[in-house]
Amino acid sequence: MKKLLSLMAVLALFITTALAQDRTITGQIVDEKGNPVPYATIKIKGSSIGAAADQNGNFSIQAKTGDILQVSAAGLEMLEIAVPAQGAVNVTLKSGDVMREVVVTALGIRRTRNQLPYSAQQVAGDEVSKTRTSNFVNNLSGKVSGLELRQTNTLGGSTNILVRGVKSITGSNQPLFVIDGVPFDNSTTNTTDQRTGRGGYDYGNAAADINPDDIQSVTVLKGAAASALYGSRGNNGVILITTKKGRSGLGITVNSGFSWGQIDKETFATYQHAYGGGYGQYYEDPSGFFLYRDIDGDGVKDLVVPTSEDASYGGKFDPSKMVYQWDAFDPNSPNFNKARPWVAAANDPTAFFENSLSSNQSVYLDGASEKGTFKLGYTRTDDKGILPNSKISKNLVNFGATYNVTPDFTVGGSINYSGITGKGRYGTGYDDKNVATNFRQWWQTNVDIKEQKEAYMRFKQNVTWNWADPSDLTPIYWDNVYFARYENFENDSRNRYFGNINANYKIGEHFNILGRVSLDNYDEFQEERQAVGSVTTSAYSRFDRTYSETNYDLLLNYDQDISTDFNLKALLGMNIRKQHITSMSSSTNGGLITEKVYSLSNSANPINAPLESDGRREVDGVFAGGTLSYKDMITLDGTIRRDASSTLPEGNNVYYYPSVSIGFVFSKLLPDLNWLTYGKLRANYAQVGGDAPFYSTLDVYTIVPPFGSQAQSSVSSTRNNPELKPERTKSSEVGLELAFFKNRLGFDVTYYDAKTFDQILPTTVSTATGYSSKFLNAGTIQNKGVELSAFGTPIQSQDFSWTINLNWTRNRNKVVSLFEGSENLLLATFQGGVSINATLGQPYGTIRGSDFVYTNGAKTVRTTGTAAVIGRYMTSTTSNEVIGNPNPDWIGGINNTFKYKNLSLSFLVDVRQGGDVFSLDLYYGLATGLYPETAGNNDLGNPLRNPIAEGGGVILPGVKPDGKPNDIRVEAINYGTFGYRYTPAAGFIYDASFVKLRELVLTYSIPSKTISSWQFVKGIDISLIGRNLWIIHKNLPYADPEENISAGNLQGYQGGAYPTTRTLGFNLRFKF
Amino acid sequence: MKKIIFILLPLLMMVGCKKDLTSLNVDPKNPQVVPSRSLFTNAQHTLANTLASSSVNLNIFRLIVQYWTETTYVDESQFDLNTRQIPRGVWNTLYRDVLKDFEEAKRTIPNDVADAAVQKNQITITDIMEVYTWYYLVTTFGNIPYTDALNIENPFPKYDDQKAIVDDLLKRLDADITALNISAESFGSADIVYEGDVAAWKKFANSLKLKIGMTIADADAAKAKTTVESAVASGVFTSNADNAQFNYLSGPPNTNPIWVDLVQSGRKDFVATNTIVNKMKLLGDPRMPYYFTFDATGSDYSGGVPGASNNYATFSKPAGPLLVPGSAGMITNPDFPHLLLSYDEVEFFLAEAVERGFSVGGTAKEHYDKAITASIRWWGGSAVDAADYLVGPSVNYLTAPGSYKQKIGEQKWIALYNRGWDAWIEWRRLDYPVLQKPTGALTEFPMRFTYNVDEQNLNKKNYDEAAAAIGGDVVTTKLFWDKF
Repeated sequence: MKKLLSLMAVLALFITTALAQDRTITGQIVDEKGNPVPYATIKIKGSSIGAAADQNGNFSIQAKTGDILQVSAAGLEMLEIAVPAQGAVNVTLKSGDVMREVVVTALGIRRTRNQLPYSAQQVAGDEVSKTRTSNFVNNLSGKVSGLELRQTNTLGGSTNILVRGVKSITGSNQPLFVIDGVPFDNSTTNTTDQRTGRGGYDYGNAAADINPDDIQSVTVLKGAAASALYGSRGNNGVILITTKKGRSGLGITVNSGFSWGQIDKETFATYQHAYGGGYGQYYEDPSGFFLYRDIDGDGVKDLVVPTSEDASYGGKFDPSKMVYQWDAFDPNSPNFNKARPWVAAANDPTAFFENSLSSNQSVYLDGASEKGTFKLGYTRTDDKGILPNSKISKNLVNFGATYNVTPDFTVGGSINYSGITGKGRYGTGYDDKNVATNFRQWWQTNVDIKEQKEAYMRFKQNVTWNWADPSDLTPIYWDNVYFARYENFENDSRNRYFGNINANYKIGEHFNILGRVSLDNYDEFQEERQAVGSVTTSAYSRFDRTYSETNYDLLLNYDQDISTDFNLKALLGMNIRKQHITSMSSSTNGGLITEKVYSLSNSANPINAPLESDGRREVDGVFAGGTLSYKDMITLDGTIRRDASSTLPEGNNVYYYPSVSIGFVFSKLLPDLNWLTYGKLRANYAQVGGDAPFYSTLDVYTIVPPFGSQAQSSVSSTRNNPELKPERTKSSEVGLELAFFKNRLGFDVTYYDAKTFDQILPTTVSTATGYSSKFLNAGTIQNKGVELSAFGTPIQSQDFSWTINLNWTRNRNKVVSLFEGSENLLLATFQGGVSINATLGQPYGTIRGSDFVYTNGAKTVRTTGTAAVIGRYMTSTTSNEVIGNPNPDWIGGINNTFKYKNLSLSFLVDVRQGGDVFSLDLYYGLATGLYPETAGNNDLGNPLRNPIAEGGGVILPGVKPDGKPNDIRVEAINYGTFGYRYTPAAGFIYDASFVKLRELVLTYSIPSKTISSWQFVKGIDISLIGRNLWIIHKNLPYADPEENISAGNLQGYQGGAYPTTRTLGFNLRFKF
Repeated sequence: MKKIIFILLPLLMMVGCKKDLTSLNVDPKNPQVVPSRSLFTNAQHTLANTLASSSVNLNIFRLIVQYWTETTYVDESQFDLNTRQIPRGVWNTLYRDVLKDFEEAKRTIPNDVADAAVQKNQITITDIMEVYTWYYLVTTFGNIPYTDALNIENPFPKYDDQKAIVDDLLKRLDADITALNISAESFGSADIVYEGDVAAWKKFANSLKLKIGMTIADADAAKAKTTVESAVASGVFTSNADNAQFNYLSGPPNTNPIWVDLVQSGRKDFVATNTIVNKMKLLGDPRMPYYFTFDATGSDYSGGVPGASNNYATFSKPAGPLLVPGSAGMITNPDFPHLLLSYDEVEFFLAEAVERGFSVGGTAKEHYDKAITASIRWWGGSAVDAADYLVGPSVNYLTAPGSYKQKIGEQKWIALYNRGWDAWIEWRRLDYPVLQKPTGALTEFPMRFTYNVDEQNLNKKNYDEAAAAIGGDVVTTKLFWDKF
């Protein structure tokens, strides 16, 4: 840190600025027709000092010579003007041809709106840095149409990003991240077990390494035409990030923020308070609910909780009943050898969650002179999660500089470092390290979480409530949750270096040549632990991964006004991309020798050889593009690219793909329509080709750890294919942009249709072939959809304004074809007898499992069969019915911003309508009797858990096979009545719709008058920030419908879901 | 300008150079060639694991035949095959993880085994292991992909008639028995069962032939007779020393999977059923301490009710000092061997063959006594234990109640303890012992497994045909050899 500070000091000296004296500048703002523009905003660039013009366009502001004034007004093009040495500043704003600022498109090419013939939506950097989340991507939610985000509630977990739906059946569907023209890897390295809910940690996605403080703007390129120049990697859309550039003079921005969070109880379990631990009425004591042992040695048998039972289908609470509980067998507990009244715990697992705490501190320096520019940023983030012993820290350093060797020749470079360290990430899935699985599925309501804490804290031992038996004090299914958090923790780190060197040369007036070498390099390290004394075998494992990508780019640009009406831009380029990914994972075998020593050499048995992978890829691309525009009204754009990829077999490894686009600004022909400010039609068509995953052409064997000294090996379960050819996407898009009333109102609507076919995928085949899958070119997915972005300024006056931004997306996805006669491609199986699939003729990602049998649309109960099943639901004969579709009907976001003088309030409401989620938490948790639905009274007003003979039991809603209403009462005395045992998987499919108040930001900029006397400060912003404050509407009980296990193609499944964290924080920003 | 060209030169060079991109696409970490015997060892190991496992995701046969039942999570004891997709587990493992590797071993043995006689022995032994594996598939599902199977060029394999498959398996065994050359070596220590002893494999092949022959005895008595007689004439197992057992190691991951499930996991999922405990108590069976531990009383044995929720502490558990200190059995030892085919099993078949009038020598009682004695000895009991047991009026073949099917069926069921899969086949065939319907049973007793659910999506036409041909893809459809 010291070094960094001295470095910054040197740089600050490097570019010195003369501090000129501020003076009052006055002026008037008019439009092209000479009419005054009322209430325009005047801002000094790079500071928060601003002023507003009056009704007649007159303004005054404190500024000094050379300052850049940014003048903007609704409906008019923003203008920058330097403060002259003397005199007034009179400004003429052009009427709004351009709805918003210049848009950065593929390869960093800047386009005005008029010349943009495809859909690209831009979000200002402020929008992603203002309200802090551990991953800036989350801040895009609801702000871009066509972009669907799914966030997890784990600390530092991965965010699933989809642009215009799933296109690839088995490949990645995550968009490409590009920073200043250079691809930035966004891998998620979560294991298959993690992604399929079988345990493990969500290590997040690598885009979280990006420093939000360094982002100038984010552009989302949605369709293939926009991203065609990026080749197959652009197939899933592109998130283009433009970083900040040095500005003239020396600027220093200091940002300091803190936030606190608490769980949203609506997204966590609510427990019934009537019955305690047990599975039913079959234990030792006469009542059948308790063990019956003589604990105190008085010769009389005592009641004991069946500690091994991780359910709450036990004895009815009764304070007069004295029962020995888990702590009676802990010699260090004050309750040792004592029976306690049989009552519900005072502190249920809700009390386990701590307050989250985040700190975000950053310093950003930048400057520019005629010789060049520089910037240096440092951001430090610390996030402590809602679970004990969880923390993620980030150090992000950005440095970039350009140097003008001659006026025509510029060299530049940038280097960015990000270091992320995590400790105690949340366990996920169906695993003993996931405390949420424990709390939501397998818990005893008589266990007090605070007492569990005390029990662990006393001697840091695994004093669990879940003893195998009072006579066998080992944990059977669940550790003490505090032991699980403090002893069985993981830690991880990722160190990343990302940067480039480039040279740019202007050849004459029209040509420009850019050469660039860029590098994206990181290493990841993950260590996982299972302490001696845990439920599962003690273990230590480590995972090391390196990622390296080098890009060599050469770009020749040409730009010339051919005549007064025609402009031609052309581009010729080449790109060589080399990717190299290695990994190694290793773990102890059969336990640890010495406790608390986490090393491979501490393995109880000789370790099996580490699993290694080593993937290399090279793609050589050549591309060309041309844009012809006529009178800034009609734009014709075309590109073509040729790629040669190393992952495809020789002879099939070269592929070409074109794009054509047209844009027509028809409002130019309608100058008389005063209400119409802007109107544009655009249409495009593009193809994109794609290569194969590593090593999918040649067959290899899998080496299995030897049996003693005997080597073992196996045929790989996936058959490779030496005849693969490139996969293809064809997409077309039409769009309409309209703005009215001097840009007070406008929208951008797009319809698209994209088909990805000849997909390279490991097609699942009957395992009777000896394989699970075979690489083939097969399968087509179609995405059709409508995107709408709209904006409006209902109120605009000198002191007050109200603006609305709306984004709405409706995507329809369909699996159009699969390999020959197969009707389904199994993507993964999950706990709970469900699977996620690509099913022919259905949207991608169908959830399959057993279904109800319906009679006239009503769930049918059995009237025949074994006694156990009569009166319970009938289940479909196969467990392979399509029971859910995780894709939403539509998604949308509305952002409202109110500004009053220096105060601004904005809030974002994020909506997802439709889409299904399977809840393993309710599948098990309803069976084990945790939730209020499983207790209480039945239709007769009696406790439903009473035997039918005593007026208990329930009549399940539904009909009998003859269609008559069900009137068969079934016992609800033992576990399972409401959960999975007698209910098909379809009974646990829920609608995942939600309406969330996602963001709320209140910002106060200290008036320039106040701070103008403090010479060194240019601006101070104070913000109060709330995130995920309120789920306004949802249909999934006890959980956040957005919560998922990991980013990736497997969505629509929850198991061991974490609650949402509501955060509230403040942020201070100083500009010097 | 010149300078710039120099700067850009490296880039231009890279475009100019012609490269062999495809060579980058060779996986440097995984081999394209492996020793053929490593495939054989792996397949044999995976096969043994599948048969030995007590995972509720794969092998629930101990529950079906009521050796064990579950304590709290009783779904599988109640015949819930769907929640955990158990048929998928069995199907995938045997086809993809066992048969495919055996098949690949057969294909590649000629590449790395020079000696022609050894080569032939290896291929033959691998084929015997394949026949053995097919036996479990065909007796579990009925019609299955067979002639079209294990060929990725045909992703939609048709299902063969189950009887035709069994006939072909017998044909293959005949050819294998002829092909084995006792005077030559085979796999050596890569063969975990017999360490490459070709003579032992010959006895194994004959004993397996005997077993398959007896399996079809009710369906095709004539073919059963000739098959059994020729197998016995050629030489079947004659003592426990001939037993085919997979000898596990004591260190993970090469332990007996039961150790993983019962001991390493720390779970307490299984207890004995009252079905077997009561029966063995009634008979005074000396194998009791080797099979089960004492119950909560510390001096007696009791079993839980199949399918009901059972308190773990109350009942007897699978015996082994690793699970319950002081108990006598070995099931929970990590290196407890798993029997693939045993001498006692052979003697039970011979007893039955005598009853069916096949010429196999000896009397039914002699074979029955030998079978029980062999089983008791294998589990750790003494010859005296066995002799005492055999005189019990309910054990004595001459005085025990019921038909030969009942006498043999009940004793074989006891002897096949820990080999639930075989016990399930024999129980369906002999219809004894009489099992109790589990509490909360979701279906009738399974007479077969339903097909792997994936077949409905991936191989639908053939699946539909097969389901129709066997009389419906449900667990209650009886297979062709299960006449009664």
